Order: sequence, then structure tokens, then C-alpha cells
Amino acid sequence: MVQAIAFYAFAFVTIAAGVMVVSSRNPVHSVLYLILAFFNAAGLFVLIGAEFIAMILVVVYVGAVAVLFLFVVMMLDINFVELRQGFMQYLPIGALLGLILLVELFFVIGIWSFLEDGSMLTAVIPVQNITNTHALGNVLYTKYVYLFQAAGLILLIAMIGAIVLTLRSRPGARKQKIADQLSRRSEDILDVVKVKEGEGV
Amino acid sequence: MSIIQLPSMISASPEIFLAGAGMILLMIGVFRKTDGTGVLSMATILCFIVAIIAGFLYGGQENAFYGMFITTSFTQFSKSLILVGSILAVVLANDYMKTEKAQRFEVPVLILFATLGMMMMVSAGDLIALYIGLELQSLSLYVLAAIRRDSLKSTEAGLKYFVLGALSSGMLLYGASLIYGFSGSTDFLDIANVINEQKDNLSLGILIGLVFLISGLAFKVSAVPFHMWTPDVYEGAPTPITALLAISPKIAALCLFIQVLIGPFSAIIEQWQQIIIFISIASMTLGAVAALMQTNIKRLLAYSSIGHMGYALIGLASANEAGISGVLIYLAIYLFMNVGTFGCILCMRRNGQAVEQISDLAGASKSHPMMAFALLVFMFSMAGIPPLAGFFGKWFIFLAAIEAQLYTLAIIGVISSVVAAFYYLRIIKFMYFDEIVAPLDKGLTKNLRTVIYGSMTLVIIFFLAPGTLVSSAAKAAKSLIGVNG
Amino acid sequence: MYAAIVFLPLVGALLAGFFGKIIGDRGAHLVTCIFMAASMLLGAVCFYDVALQQNAQTITLFTWIESGNLKAEWALKIDTLTAIMILVVTSVSTMVHVYSIGYMHHDPHNPRFFAYLSLFTFAMLMLVTADNLVQMFFGWEGVGLASYLLIGFWYQKPEANAAAIKAFLVNRVGDFGFALGIFGTYLLFDTIVLDEIFILAPKYVETELTFLWFSADAITVLTMLLFIGAMGKSAQLGLHTWLPDAMEGPTPVSALIHAATMVTAGVFMIARLSPMMEYAPDTLTVVTLIGATTAIFAASVGLCQNDIKRVIAYSTCSQLGYMFFACGVSAYSAGIYHLLTHAFFKALLFLGAGSVIHAMSDEQDMTKMGGLRKRIPLTYWLMIVGTLALTGFPFLSGFYSKDLILEATFARDTGVGYYAFYIGIFVAGLTAFYSWRLIFMTFHGECRAPKSVQDKIHESPLVMTLPLIFLAVGALFSGKLGYEFFGGESMKAFWGDALLVLKENRTIEAAAGVPMWVVLLPTIMFIVGTSLAFYCYQLKPDLPKTLSSKFSGIYQFLLNKWYFDELYDLLFVRSAFRFGHALWKKGDGAVIDGLGPDGISSMVRRLSGQAVRLQSGFLYHYAFAMMIGLIAFASWYIFGFGN
Repeated sequence: MVQAIAFYAFAFVTIAAGVMVVSSRNPVHSVLYLILAFFNAAGLFVLIGAEFIAMILVVVYVGAVAVLFLFVVMMLDINFVELRQGFMQYLPIGALLGLILLVELFFVIGIWSFLEDGSMLTAVIPVQNITNTHALGNVLYTKYVYLFQAAGLILLIAMIGAIVLTLRSRPGARKQKIADQLSRRSEDILDVVKVKEGEGV
Repeated sequence: MSIIQLPSMISASPEIFLAGAGMILLMIGVFRKTDGTGVLSMATILCFIVAIIAGFLYGGQENAFYGMFITTSFTQFSKSLILVGSILAVVLANDYMKTEKAQRFEVPVLILFATLGMMMMVSAGDLIALYIGLELQSLSLYVLAAIRRDSLKSTEAGLKYFVLGALSSGMLLYGASLIYGFSGSTDFLDIANVINEQKDNLSLGILIGLVFLISGLAFKVSAVPFHMWTPDVYEGAPTPITALLAISPKIAALCLFIQVLIGPFSAIIEQWQQIIIFISIASMTLGAVAALMQTNIKRLLAYSSIGHMGYALIGLASANEAGISGVLIYLAIYLFMNVGTFGCILCMRRNGQAVEQISDLAGASKSHPMMAFALLVFMFSMAGIPPLAGFFGKWFIFLAAIEAQLYTLAIIGVISSVVAAFYYLRIIKFMYFDEIVAPLDKGLTKNLRTVIYGSMTLVIIFFLAPGTLVSSAAKAAKSLIGVNG
Repeated sequence: MYAAIVFLPLVGALLAGFFGKIIGDRGAHLVTCIFMAASMLLGAVCFYDVALQQNAQTITLFTWIESGNLKAEWALKIDTLTAIMILVVTSVSTMVHVYSIGYMHHDPHNPRFFAYLSLFTFAMLMLVTADNLVQMFFGWEGVGLASYLLIGFWYQKPEANAAAIKAFLVNRVGDFGFALGIFGTYLLFDTIVLDEIFILAPKYVETELTFLWFSADAITVLTMLLFIGAMGKSAQLGLHTWLPDAMEGPTPVSALIHAATMVTAGVFMIARLSPMMEYAPDTLTVVTLIGATTAIFAASVGLCQNDIKRVIAYSTCSQLGYMFFACGVSAYSAGIYHLLTHAFFKALLFLGAGSVIHAMSDEQDMTKMGGLRKRIPLTYWLMIVGTLALTGFPFLSGFYSKDLILEATFARDTGVGYYAFYIGIFVAGLTAFYSWRLIFMTFHGECRAPKSVQDKIHESPLVMTLPLIFLAVGALFSGKLGYEFFGGESMKAFWGDALLVLKENRTIEAAAGVPMWVVLLPTIMFIVGTSLAFYCYQLKPDLPKTLSSKFSGIYQFLLNKWYFDELYDLLFVRSAFRFGHALWKKGDGAVIDGLGPDGISSMVRRLSGQAVRLQSGFLYHYAFAMMIGLIAFASWYIFGFGN
């Protein structure tokens, strides 16, 4: 009973927050709603006993991604009103498409039935007395080592991409060059000048 | 706690080798900066060659990584095609960077990782593996498309590709999750079993999941209506990257398409055949019709490749051995025609600037007789004029369609190839019948010449000895159909 | 042996046509003339054997078409009628061949010309020997083809080409009728073999033929259709316009095809089909009417023409009218009789005219001739013989045959018969007038030709005059010799089964009992016409001019051939052109090209433009397209279309 109430509460807030992300005028509010949605999603994960994913969601998405978003949104001067100008124009057809898709998905969900012995097919048979983290660790480096490594490669590519596309060496930028500083000698930079009286330099 | 055995990895050795080599090359690149580009390109090509050899030595033995990685004659064949395409793309890219004086050591490395992603896609035996491979190649390609970050067109192309690619990935993932939800597994064999059991009473969830999956994959082969990115990205991306986009990822995505549809979903051919027929017809028609008005040769080739994918999808729609081997033959021929054509486009420079308008080719037959002749051969071949290779590609495909009694498809294919012949011939008309307005720059680099003339020779002499290709494609098709069908 | 009569000319044609370059002019002359002469000799033998000894026979060569009930064989049906035709065709053709050696010696394409002539002869023989309608149609079309080729022989001349096309087209109208007649015959009788049709014809007298909502007497309809074919070939009123224009061909061609043989094919056909015609009295009435009207029309036009060949051409047309109305009153024998005599004297006249033209350096306008009597006396006298025979001078050939026809029409004792009779009488006078007019204008008076032409006037060589002499002999005596068989006591025995005349239609027998004035009237008319011509063109040479200016309306009407060409131009040619233009511009251009090649290409262009417009460059448009595609696919399955 409590679980059901909690589920509906979390689910409702998630969806409501999602709508607000799209519809709020202030981009900072949008990001804040996004964070709210993430928290609620984490709550949903906790409800089904996937506490590890819940925590990861909070740590990674809320702690890193969303906060980064917040910084970007606040630092960049993006005129969201201008960006949204086409929004109303495409709203009807977009809404129609969304509605159709929704109806169709209801059809699909409507015939949902659990397979007999479906649990036999799941990746790892949950063992009662090990934690989520433990269970994930058991498969991540064994059964899913291929995927784990490949995912690592994807992240590597993402990193390369980010660097390739953004890193530039600006010739005018001044940076601290410690080696240069240390190797400087007084003879190179100091000039002793005799100043005659009454003439100045 | 039981000790889990180390999974079998031997047949994945080309991929493992490439992954390791890629990281080493990346390190070399980082330390040598831009002057290492040429060396890295050579090394990348070398790695690809080693991968091809390794593929022949170790591939096709047993599935690796608990069945997530499949190797058959089919994957061997398609990986060889992908690798050959990538080798040629690296050659073109290296040449391009040298002439443009825009050397970036990341390019060969990214091509290497993209190729690795393609190989993983083709070998995927699991929905997650499929997605991971797909993302690896896509992400590399997004970056490659935007690699000329100072060019507005290039960054726009990269961004468009990225956003729409993300959307398509979303569709694909949604489909994958639906399929997982309704079949209870991400493993292809398990999915196949589930579908086989409920063949007569297929759950709608799997079907809709498949629709989403097909939509995601159709984006990768740029089939209509998921093709919209193609012309913009082809035009905006640097030419050798466009060449790469037109060749290897297309081959990989189409082979993956085959692998998925003929694999776990072979029991419901009648269901997915309808979509494939539709997108095949739509692609052929749009590829033929929309290209007519193009003035930019890269855009034109984008539509051309949309059309070509439509033809190749006929072979998939046929869903028989002849169809699959037809697709493989088609892709092999398509590879060389496209590489050659893009090689010719790279020759199009005036006053040191690359030009891309079709009208810039006016009178090329006089200023560049050999290049013009090569382009003529490629255009004739693409239009499907015998005895050039392109004709045989279409011929095998149409034969398969007729065998599968898809007469409408074959007829529309023939009609649209007639329409398409118009714009191929238009290019020839510009080169051979129009007067020179402003001559193109003289001089081809040795690499470019090798690529162009080599492809041209293959396209011309294919009809003398089609046996090798045809028999190995047939073997590959058999390995796929034989297992699942 | 009789097969040789038909096929020898073909062999000659093939040799001259395909090996003309090798055997040369001389070789082509020799080959075709020798084969023709052999054919003529065999034809004479055949005439003796079949017509005089009554050995009618049918020789089957081989089966041509066999399909279901339809069976057509290559067979030669040789009876008296055929034998007469063979005799006429081979002898006139041989004479024309020989004559052409002289007439055409300037021409560079001799082998081709002789090949065409022989080909024509073959086709004509095929026509007259046909034992079924399809074979007859083959010959019919064959002569049409040869006629086309020969009219257009001088293909460098635009008029010749136009005339050839006109002849071909006008004949097509007739051929269409003929073809329909053949179809109808097969429909009704289930056979196309003549002998079988003739046996069956009496049984179908009351049968009606229904087409759409029309219903008419079957045999009448069929014979009318077949008669339309005959009208085309024989240049009867309505379909006559091609004949005068056909004079653009070389003169020997005019003599052979457009006077003596081909144009008589219609008469031959009517006679050949007499067993059908006899059961279609309405058709016979129409034949009579058309024939008589043609006779007066052509004769009246002939009065005013100045081109020597055209005068003779209209004369031919007019004489064909005689033959037709003879057949129309069931006097087939008289019709064929006139055909025979006419062949001789008309060929003589044409070849004589050719000789004149030859002498005058290819001048055909009579107003530029005159006084040739002294310069080319032999031709003059031969022309006089021909003219006398044509105009019905007593005891020459035309006198007998024409009198027989006129008496038969009188004896028919019907309104139409009398119409034909009086017209025939009147036309006899006209004939005499225009024939003598020709003679007087050409041979008498002062020569009106330029000096340069006058100096070159010369008598034709022997190779041209010899055939003329032969034909003159025929023109002089064929009438007297033939009367016995065509109108006299031995008629019945002579014809055997070749012609059928019903008991109540025996006009020729009845002709013996006509009053004396009927017998004398044609001769009187001859005298009147001749005297008038003599008066107008010899005594008062200015009279024709004053008359023509006084009655300029009539004169223009006649000079312009009753405005038939203009009428047809207005009715058919222009409207056909308009129709064709409409089909071309609207039908072909707008509809077929418009929907076809041009339409498709422009549609593809339009589509292309739209497809390009879809490619807006906006990211959200692209994303929209993808979503729409996805949702469309999903809906396809969800709403059950996919199953």
C-alpha cells in the first residue's frame, strides 16, 4: 500500500517535472525541474530495489550532468524565447503525432503479459543476500566484459571528440611557463643604467 | 562463489587488435602532433590490413564473449568490405589533408575507431552489443563530419548528424527495450526462440519494437523517410569523410540490418518485409527523383547513395539466399564505384580551392581526359550500363526480387534506375559536351591516381571474372540463411 | 503451262529489278520483253484453247492460307473471261514494253522501269486469274503498288510524287470497300472461293445482313461494297480524281495501266462476279447510274482540257463509264467487248500521244502544238485510226462495241436503262468532238511551238512505231472479229459458264430487236461531233475562244473538272489535315507526349523540385520527417494493415 502510494507519487512528480522542463520560460527553472525529475526517477529505482542505479542517477545525473547544465545555461547568453518561436507553430502537429504514438503505445502495453519462465532469461538470477553493487560487479567484468570495454571505447571517443572539436591553441593567450621563469637570469632582463643628473631617463 | 571462466575471444581478435592499436596510435599522435598524421595514416592502413588477415585467420571459428559476438562467413565478408572501404577512405583523407594543409592526426584514429564500431555492429549477437557498436561508429563519425571545425558547413553537418543520430539512437533503443520487454532477452538466439514459439500469435510489442529498431537502422543506411540528414551532411562534411560516410557505415549498417532481420526475426519475414519493401521503393524513387535538380555533386551523390541503398534493400526484402548474396555483391561494387567517384571529386580543384558544382566539370574531358574517362566509367556503372560492374550489381538484385516474386519492387527498381540514369549521364554530358568555362587545376597526387584508376579497372574488368566475388558472397549468404532459415 | 503466263513476267521483273546493274539496260530490255512476248504467245494459245475450244479449267498451285474454315489457294481460274483478259493484258503489255525501249532510252533507270512494268503485268495477271477473292485482292493491291511505283517513277518531280500518293490514297478508299466486301462475303458464304460463292449465291437472295441497327439485303450490300472497290480502281465518278493526275507517269505507263489494263480491273471484277451481281438488281441500278454519270462527266471535262494526255485520260474515264453501265444492264459481254476494243485503240492513242510528246521534246500542251501532220505522218495516221476507232467510225472496233452497249441499254427497257442510253448517245457525240479536237489541235493548223522545239520534231524510231502498228491492226479489226463472240450467235458457247445472266436480264439478245434509229443514232452522233469539231477548230478557229468567254461559267466549270478536286480538298483533305493536325498537336503532342515521355519527365522534374523543397535544412523538419515515418510504420501494424 505504501509502496503503491510512493510509486504513484514519484511517477506523477516525474512526469509533471518533465512537462515543466519543456514548458517553463526560464531556462534555469527548466534545469531545476530536470533535477527534480531525476530525483523522482531515482526514487522509482529505489522502489524496485535497484538502489545502486538510484544512487548512480543521483550522483552522476544530478551531481554532475545537471549541475553542469545549470552552469552552461547561466553562463551562456541564450535567448530561449527566440529559440522557442517556432514552437507554437509546430505544436499542433507535434501534439498530434505525440498523441498517436501514445495511443499506439497503450495498445502495446495493453497486451503486455509476462512470459512464463521469463525470469529464466534475465541476465543474472538475483541472489537474495548479495547487494546490488555486488551483483553488478559479478557480471560487469565477466559476462558483460565485452560491452563494458566497448562502452569504455565510446567514452574515449567522446573525449577525443570533445577535445578535437573544442581545444584550440590561442597564440595570444598568456600562460604560466614555469621552466621559462626558472631559467631566467638577471643578466637577461636587468640593465644597469647610469642616470645623469638633471636629465632623467 | 563460482569462478567464471574467461570467455572465448579468439574470433574477436581483429577487433581486439584494432582497439589496442587504436589507443597506441592515439598516444603516438598526441605526442607527435600534426606532423605524425602521415605516419598515423600509414599505420592505420597497416592495422586494417592486419585486421583483414586476422579476420580470415581467426574469424568464423566460434562466437566470442558468450554469444554477444558472432562470426560467420557473412560477417567475415562484410568486415572485409568495411575494412577495404576504410582503407581507401584513409588514403583519400590523408591526401586531402595534405593538399588542404589541414592535417589532424585524430582523423585516421577516428576512422579506425569508427571502423571498429562497424565491425562490432556487424558481429553483434545481442541487442546491447548492437547498440554499443552502433554508437561507437556513430560517435566517431559525428566528430569526423565536424572535423573542419572552422568551416560553418562542416560543423553544421556534424551537429545535424549528431542530433538526428541521437534521435535515431533513441528510436533504436526504445525498440530494443520493447523487444527485450516482450521477449525477455537481449540475446539474438533467445529472441529468435521466443519469436519462433509465438510465430502464429506474435505479440504486438515485439512487432512495434521491431518497427522502432528498423527505423533506427534505416537512419543509418539513410533510407527514406529517415534520410533527411544525408544530403546536408554529405555536402558539409569534408570530401574524404563524405566518401567514408558513403561507403563503410552504409555497408556496415546494411549488413547489420540483414544480420538482425534474417537472424532473430527470420520467423516473421512477412511482417518486416512490408516495411523494407516500402522504404526500398521510397528510397529508390526519392534517390532518383530528388537528385535530378541537384547542382552540387556531393549532394547529388547523397541522393544517389540513398537510391543505391534502396536497391540493396530489395535484396533484403527478397529475404532469400540470392537476395542476400545480391546485396553483398551490390555493396562490393558500390564500394569501388563510390570510392572512385569521390576520388574524382577530390580532383576538382580550381586555383587551389576545392569546387563541388557539377557545372565545374564542364569540359573536363579536354583538360583531364583520364579523370573524365574514369568518372564516365563510374557514372555509367552507377547508372547500370552493361558490361560495367554496376550493371551486375543491379542484375543480381533484380534477379533475387523476381525469385522472391516481388515483381513490383523489381519493376519500380528498373524504372527508377532509368530516371537516375538521367543525372548520371548529365555529369557525363557536362564533361564531354560542354565547353570549358574555367579549367580545373592540373595534377593528381599519386595516391589519388592509384585509387581512381584502381577502382576504375575493377569496375571495368569485373565482368571478366565475377566468379570470385559471386561465389564468396553466395557462401556468406548461405552461412546466414543456413543457420537461421 | 498457263502458270507460265502469269509467272514469266514476275521472273522478268525480278531479273531486271535485282540484277539491273549487272545486266544493264539492254539486258533488262531483252529479259523483260522476251519473257513478256513468251507470255503473250502462251496467252494467245490459252485464248484459243480456253475461249475458242471451251476448255475452262482451274489450276491449283499450292495452298496459301488455311485457317479454320478459311482456305485460300494459289490457283489459276482460267475461263473465257480470264482468257480474254490474259490476251488483252499480255498483248498490250508486250507492246508497251517494246515501245518503252524507244520511249525511255534517255532515262537512266531503265532496268527499274522495266522491272516495274513486268511486276505490274504479273500482278494484273494474278488478278485476272484469281480463283478466290483474297488472291484477287492480292493482285488488286499488286497492281495498285505497281501503279504507285510507276506514277512516281520520276520521283524527282514533286507533281509525280503527289500524283502517286493521290492515286494510292484514292484507291485505298476503294480497296477498303473491296476488303469489307471480302469480309462480308466470308461472313455470309463461309468461303472466299469464287466457284463456291457462285453456287451459293442464289440461296442467299432473301438473306439480310445486320450491322449494328442497320439491316439490308445481304447480297446487295456485298456487291455494293465490292463495287466501291471497282469504282476506285476504275476511276468512276467520285473516286476518279486520281486518274488524270496519274498522267504524271511516263506515257507508256499511262497507256498500259491507266488506259488499257488496270483501270479495267473494276469492269473485270463486276463481270467476274456476275453470278452475284445478277441477284442484286439494286446494285446493278447503281452501277448503271454511276457508269452513265461518269461517262458524261468525263466527256464534258475532256472537251476543255489542253493537256493531250489528260484529254485521253478523261476519254478513258468516260469509256470506262460505258463499260460499267453495260455491266449495269447485264450486258457483261458487251462491257468486256468494249474493254477489249478499248484496250487496243486507247493504248494506240496513248502511245501515239507519247510519240507526239516524244517528237515535241516532252511538250504536252496542245495549245503549243499544231501542224504536226506533215512532220510525223506515221504517227498522225495511226492516231487517226485510233480516233476513228474510239469515236465509233463504222466498222472499226469502237463502232461495234459501243453500238452493242447502247443497244443493250435501250433494250433494258427501264428508266435507268434509258438514262444510260441517252447519256451514252450524247457522250458519243462529245467523244467525237473532243477526239477530233485533239487531232485538229495537234496535227493541223500552224505549229505553235517555239522554234527550238520545232527544229527537233522527228518521227519516232521503229521500235516505237511497230507496236503502234500492231495496236492499230487490233483497233481496226478486233471489233469485227469479236462481234460474233461478244454479241452474236456464238456468244453463249463462247462464254460458257464464265458469265451469268438471268433470263429476264438478257439484254444483248434483246438488243437485236431494237428499232433502226437506235442502231443509227451513235453513227449520227459521230458525224455531228466530228463536224462540229471540224467547224470549230478548222473552219472557225476563233469560235472556241468566243464561246469560252461567252459561257465562261460553264467553261470554268468544265476546265476545273466540275470542281471535284476542290470539293474533295475542302471536304476530305483539309478536314483530314485538320483532324490529323489535331491528333498530332492535341492527341499525340498533348495527350500521348504530354502524359507520356514529356509528361513523365516534367512530372519527375516537379516531383524533384518538391523533394528538394522538403530538404529545408531545418533540423526539426528532419526530425519531424523521421517521427512521422516511424509513427506511420507503427500505425500500419497496430491498426492491422500489416496482417
